Amino acid sequence: MSKIVILGAGISGHVAAAHLRRKLSKEHEVLVVSPNSNYQWIPSNIWVGIGRMKSEEILFPLPPLYKKKNIGYKQALVTTFHPEGDTESASPFVNIKYVNGEQKGNTEKVTYDYLINATGPKLAFDMTEGLNPGTNKAYSVCTYSHAEHAWHALDDLIQQMKQGKKAKILIGTGHAKSTCQGAAFEYILNVEQELRRHNVRDQAEVIWIANEYQLGDFGMDGVLLSYGDNIMKSSEMVEMVFEDRGIKWILGAGVNKIEDGIAHYETLDGEYKSETYDFAMLIPAFSGHGFKAFGKNNEDITEKLFKGFMLVDADYTAKPYEEWSVQDWPETYQNPSYKNIFAPGIAFAPPHAISKPRVRKNGTSISPAPPRTGMPSGITAKLVADNIIDTINGKKDLHHKGSLGNMGAACIASAGYGMTKGSGVSITTYPIVPDYNKYPDTQGRKLGKTFGEIGLAGHWLKLALHYAFIYKAKMKPFWWLIPE
Amino acid sequence: MTQRISKSKRFYMMNPIIQFFKFIWLSIKIMLVVAGGHGGTRKVNN
Repeated sequence: MSKIVILGAGISGHVAAAHLRRKLSKEHEVLVVSPNSNYQWIPSNIWVGIGRMKSEEILFPLPPLYKKKNIGYKQALVTTFHPEGDTESASPFVNIKYVNGEQKGNTEKVTYDYLINATGPKLAFDMTEGLNPGTNKAYSVCTYSHAEHAWHALDDLIQQMKQGKKAKILIGTGHAKSTCQGAAFEYILNVEQELRRHNVRDQAEVIWIANEYQLGDFGMDGVLLSYGDNIMKSSEMVEMVFEDRGIKWILGAGVNKIEDGIAHYETLDGEYKSETYDFAMLIPAFSGHGFKAFGKNNEDITEKLFKGFMLVDADYTAKPYEEWSVQDWPETYQNPSYKNIFAPGIAFAPPHAISKPRVRKNGTSISPAPPRTGMPSGITAKLVADNIIDTINGKKDLHHKGSLGNMGAACIASAGYGMTKGSGVSITTYPIVPDYNKYPDTQGRKLGKTFGEIGLAGHWLKLALHYAFIYKAKMKPFWWLIPE
Repeated sequence: MTQRISKSKRFYMMNPIIQFFKFIWLSIKIMLVVAGGHGGTRKVNN
């Protein structure tokens, strides 16, 4: 009998738990530890942020589902890692702290045979002075509660605009190293459409601010894609959409301070500038959770497990951009020091960025961190689950592999909500991390598998995925037939 | 605001009948990209 402990119940943690439970017999224990008792379908947060969906439509409580499916659950957060056990026992364990219910505040030692760290990122608002959702007129859509808050503020502003107020709306990244430009891209297009729906578009100046060097970088160094019969860069596609929608842009901007209605930023040119706004939605930097790990004699071994995020089978050798290789990226998400620990999804430390790093003369790096989206999170979680199952069943090697350099991803970006008026920018990318050796003439990507489409069908597709993935997450009949 | 998408292209993008078929096409194409498999890179290229 084996005990598999999964830290986190987001896309990655939940996918791993679901597949492990489905494929392992009942003698094996699957236990999820997560401070949030709700599962949320994060890609739909942007629709909560424009008031077109309620939070209840994108989340559901996990404890009843886990009870029904025989998956253990503790509403707690992990505090320390002890992969060698301690002086009392050689069994590896994590310390957890309950965050709710009668046990709130209590700590517990949870032992494991296999550990899946799917704790995702810490939303590091504190890395930008003054950036805190709901203060200084700046908001976030990173969680459903943040998105609800953003909608209330945006709705207030729209009502004021209906009374004649002119407004400036700033959307993008709130730190020089932020990622997740895609979510901000979706949000700015949805907000712009809602302004038109409320007949106040003429009174609003809508501005995109980002740490990208070019539009459409998305933390992936941009993509060269097929668009109809043409081949175009993602920068050209996004520029076309922004110009057509009257959205202005500020690029190469490292936002470093937020005051009430003012975003201060530094540029790659070395200038310090600021932009005023009446409503802002700025994506923060993502960071690791600052976990500590201890050895058998309570010595600090954090560097064997973490480099911000968790260390896995990547090549972390520091090297210049020109020497970066697709082979640097991990394949099995297994920690090299402790073979029974894995970190799929967003929890693993990337070997380096994907976008070309750009640094100011004073040393400030202003360029996007690698994107961390739902699809690779689900795929990597499933392959980790499959490798653990194989190991339990006696296989010695890890056969299931999934490098971001040999994996496709689809980004169905909503560009406006509505069954007849909605729109979407659908982009697929293969591979996510460009392979310049394999595809030297197409900027590291395979054309045909890397394509873009704009139109109403994109909105329908995103809506269909919303319902399909919530169905899958609820583990309803034949849920496993829906791919990650 | 600069019109960058022509009227005919916009009609194509927003026509529900055309877009219904585009939806089917997109669903299949994305499925092929996503479900087309994934793997390592080190043995392939080294």
